[in-house]
Amino acid sequence: MTPATEPMLQLLAPDGSYGVEKEYSRYGEVIDSLAEDQLKTFYRDMARIRRFDQEAIALQRQGQLGLWVPAIGQEAAQIGSGYAVGKNDHIFPSYREHGVAITHGVELMSILKMMRGVNHGGWNPEETRFHLYAIVLGSQVLHAVGYAMGVKLDGKVGTGDLDNDLAVISYFGDGATAEGDVSESLLFAAVNEAPIVFVIQNNQWAISSNIASQTKVPLYRRGEGFGVPGLRVDGNDVLACYAATKIHMDEAREGKGPYLLEALTYRIGAHTTSDDPTKYREEEEVEYWRQRDPIARFEVFLRRQGVDDDFFEEVAVAGDELAKDIREQTFALTKPPLESIFDNVYSDDHPEINAQRAWLRAYEDQMGGHE
Amino acid sequence: MSIAKFPLPDVGEGLTEAEIVSWRVSPGDKVAVNQTICEIETAKSVVELPCPFEGEVSELLVAEGDTVEVGTPIISVVVQGNAPLLSEPDAPANEPEGDTGAEYKLPNLVGYGDSGDVKSRRKRAVNTAPISTAIPVSMVKAAAASDAVMAKPPIRKLAKDLGVDLGNVTGTGMHGEITREDVVGSASQASVFKNLTTPQQPSEREERIPVKGVRKAIATAMVKSAFTAPHVSIFVDVDATRTMEYVKRLKSSVDFAGIKVTPLLIMAKAMIWAIRRNPMVNSTWTDKEIIVHNFVNLGIAAATPRGLIVPNIKDADSMNMLELAQAIEQLAATARDGKTTPEDMAEGTITITNIGVFGVDTGTPILNPGEVSIVALGSIRKKPWVVDDEIVVRQITTIGATFDHRVVDGDVASRFVQDVASVIEEPALLLD
Amino acid sequence: MAMSNYQEMAIAKALNAGLRKAMQRDEKVLVFGEDVARLGGVFRVTEGLLDEFGDSRIFNSPIAESGIVGTAIGLAMRGYRSVAEIQFDGFVFPAFNQITTQLARLTYRSEGFQQMPVVIRIPVGGGIGAVEHHSESPEAYFAHTPGLRVVSPSNPNDAYWMIQQAIESPDPVIFLEPKRRYWQKGPVNLDTAPLPLHSARMLREGTDLTLIAHGPMVATALQAAELGAEEGISIEVIDLRSLSPVDYPTLLASVQKTSRVVIAQEAPNNVSLGSEIAARIAEQAYYYLEAPVIRVGGFDTPYPPAKLEEEYLPDADRILEAVDRVLAY
Repeated sequence: MTPATEPMLQLLAPDGSYGVEKEYSRYGEVIDSLAEDQLKTFYRDMARIRRFDQEAIALQRQGQLGLWVPAIGQEAAQIGSGYAVGKNDHIFPSYREHGVAITHGVELMSILKMMRGVNHGGWNPEETRFHLYAIVLGSQVLHAVGYAMGVKLDGKVGTGDLDNDLAVISYFGDGATAEGDVSESLLFAAVNEAPIVFVIQNNQWAISSNIASQTKVPLYRRGEGFGVPGLRVDGNDVLACYAATKIHMDEAREGKGPYLLEALTYRIGAHTTSDDPTKYREEEEVEYWRQRDPIARFEVFLRRQGVDDDFFEEVAVAGDELAKDIREQTFALTKPPLESIFDNVYSDDHPEINAQRAWLRAYEDQMGGHE
Repeated sequence: MSIAKFPLPDVGEGLTEAEIVSWRVSPGDKVAVNQTICEIETAKSVVELPCPFEGEVSELLVAEGDTVEVGTPIISVVVQGNAPLLSEPDAPANEPEGDTGAEYKLPNLVGYGDSGDVKSRRKRAVNTAPISTAIPVSMVKAAAASDAVMAKPPIRKLAKDLGVDLGNVTGTGMHGEITREDVVGSASQASVFKNLTTPQQPSEREERIPVKGVRKAIATAMVKSAFTAPHVSIFVDVDATRTMEYVKRLKSSVDFAGIKVTPLLIMAKAMIWAIRRNPMVNSTWTDKEIIVHNFVNLGIAAATPRGLIVPNIKDADSMNMLELAQAIEQLAATARDGKTTPEDMAEGTITITNIGVFGVDTGTPILNPGEVSIVALGSIRKKPWVVDDEIVVRQITTIGATFDHRVVDGDVASRFVQDVASVIEEPALLLD
Repeated sequence: MAMSNYQEMAIAKALNAGLRKAMQRDEKVLVFGEDVARLGGVFRVTEGLLDEFGDSRIFNSPIAESGIVGTAIGLAMRGYRSVAEIQFDGFVFPAFNQITTQLARLTYRSEGFQQMPVVIRIPVGGGIGAVEHHSESPEAYFAHTPGLRVVSPSNPNDAYWMIQQAIESPDPVIFLEPKRRYWQKGPVNLDTAPLPLHSARMLREGTDLTLIAHGPMVATALQAAELGAEEGISIEVIDLRSLSPVDYPTLLASVQKTSRVVIAQEAPNNVSLGSEIAARIAEQAYYYLEAPVIRVGGFDTPYPPAKLEEEYLPDADRILEAVDRVLAY
């Protein structure tokens, strides 16, 4: 299904040509000020994250991971928006934002460990400003709004001091917009004028449910009823994603209230490695969207800007090295220590936890430990 | 160079098997990491499997069309160096992977799902004492200090049925709790013999039991005794509270650990003391002469399944308290086992019959042939008693005794019984 | 030695005073929920706080329980200590997802990087003649959820101190307030806390039987003990105060002494908090028990219409009926 024509911000067409429509001129201005190095970084990271995804899928097929959640096809939406997030801003992902993760220094192995069952998401949200993955759909959006409300209470909105002020970016998918928590989030954000940008990555499939069954109205308009304005962006156009996120995060930080971006993209791969999309969608549709690949179009664009083969080869080699490194690290992962079952259930001391930890220790001693 | 094997993974969160649809490689082919080696079909979908190793295909271990369980090696590949460890170590990899001979071999790896084989470590358990979270240690210590009684609910019921006061019982269980044996043992003064059940209604109108063996012997002895010696019985009630306290102290003393201590022991000692003061009671009547014995072979009437027998403790008067206690215990055990010999039963000089165990207050015992006195120890019960002109609850027992009036007159009998009673009332007299 | 400073207050007022103290002590403490600001809460527990602290510290939330708890979580991530009110026990369920899958687990999920110092205040229990959904006792759902702490004060002094202690906890606390006792008065010691947050308390000494209760049932338990005394039964009454974790050492010491236990609760008995306590006592005090542990609770039906609630809720007579049964063993 190709969505109906709605106004959409697009700077980079699928064929790689760049153009700014008049009503979107301020977004174009953002791109004009970008240096070539920054553009190359966009490409390198999109390629890197795709290579990572492919390797992770293989590792799952080899029994090294219980599950993998591929973001293939969504690289532009994630890298573009990720790099537009400000230096103090906080990010609330769902569970597929690996591309956003690498723009904020989250180690890819951290994500892998979670999918392998070593932990439930073990990176430091405060340090990276990239909060933990959320598996209950939409639950994290309320947290993001609460965080933004706190930022406002702190007086860190609209002072004009970029070292002081911050905004919050909240990612969720098209399927999650059906959850009540997302509606409540829009409501709370609006009535509190919270400094938050909601980014819906509309990859058009929620496992086997097409977007048409999840909404009657294009998702960028979902916030209207609550008082949150929105914009549809071509989610496969890394420049549009960057520009839109930059402008609207800046505005949120300045105190203009919440905003909603719909990044229209496509889930090229399966929902997860347990899924088989051939059972519910047509190959023609997937092919249609392959023609609109974010990385391919950006390569065309860069080459037109004069970036040469050396760069692309270097990126490919770096990708292979990344894959090899991930593979080796994965094989070296050990099972977490048994008693970590009891760590951090509470922040404060707790008698039941203490008693049960001691019991398990005694039981394991008696059983002679594991092989 | 080594052989690496690729076990079939669980590609879909809980799948248990898959069918090999097609092989994309053959033995001898060179393979690279992630190269597709086969297609499998699971309950959920058709999936391509990428090779985990780089090397040369050695053998395809399963065929197209086979349905294979997750964890079964499907291909072996010759690789450079060591075969990569596809199973994950629990700890840093210096743990040797030995074959313990246990059945289960599937590595516990995410993505390999449920193997179905259950692994048990019980036989390897280093020590088999259960980890007790049941009774917090602090409570056990507190119980030792407090008056709290520790006994399982069924034991409490048993104690109630037998009329045993758990407060008087020392627990010998693993945690200091009172056990079934402790209760039954403590019930000697009460109703171990109490009928707890009513027998079924017999179907015949009468039962005929032949008179023979032990029953015949008892009958003969009873008749001989009862119709030869003139029997006279006298009774006295006495406050046995101090005896009961003394028994309790002895029970918990180290010297008497593991030895049964009951009021019968004190009674025996009291009789021996009283005999010294009233020697006539410890004699034998023959038509020609009265033989006064200067030793005490103390008979103790014992109920056995085959009937009443009276084995005696030889020279009981030369024993100290501990020896006497052991002798009584030994005698009772031997009788219970049915191993009492005729020698054990011969040459008794005086007898004590403990009818208190049956819950009976007192009675008129029949003399053991050859003896002139027999003392009956009855039940010891809490009763109102007057102490210093006040009514208080004390442990009261009736001492009954029967005498051969040919030898023992009323005054001797009374003095003897009084002496026994005095000791029961005040065991300290034994220190004399 | 200075005399302790006592003041007679109703539970609702004691909660109000405790909240006030907590907000004075720490400017990161926020109070929000439906109608808590200008109105001061439907039970007036938050009365006057708006005037003292202003609308950036105490504010109304939209009628969205999941949103109330979800944003409280986000605020906690930002360093705030939220005291969120759920207006009635029956309305906590829309927030159940955020409470159990998020609030209870974020510290665990983040391996300690994120603390969740959130207090969720909920008026609970029946006996006020209300319509449906206003008389529930949902403590079992929360006590069953690892990662949460659950407490319930039964009297003004505990209310005053426990709300402050709950706010100071770095962990999420479900704070259950006995709504039919809101106007029950009692002395509040303004100087010294009576006990740590998770301690139980023996309120009345006895020798024949241990009677365990919490929240609104404590007053009923004391009543039962009083009546029992007239009949010559000596009942020891224990106020649980903390429902998760339960202070087992205090309970077990009492059981050791009396050997008999009755647990009284408003909640339906089946799969209740009382069931867990009964199982634990049977396991840990087995050798001390003269009788099985008996629970007196609501029947296993939805809470009935108000005209029938008097017969539904355990009263002193129902408690004493259980006492009789236990003593008969």
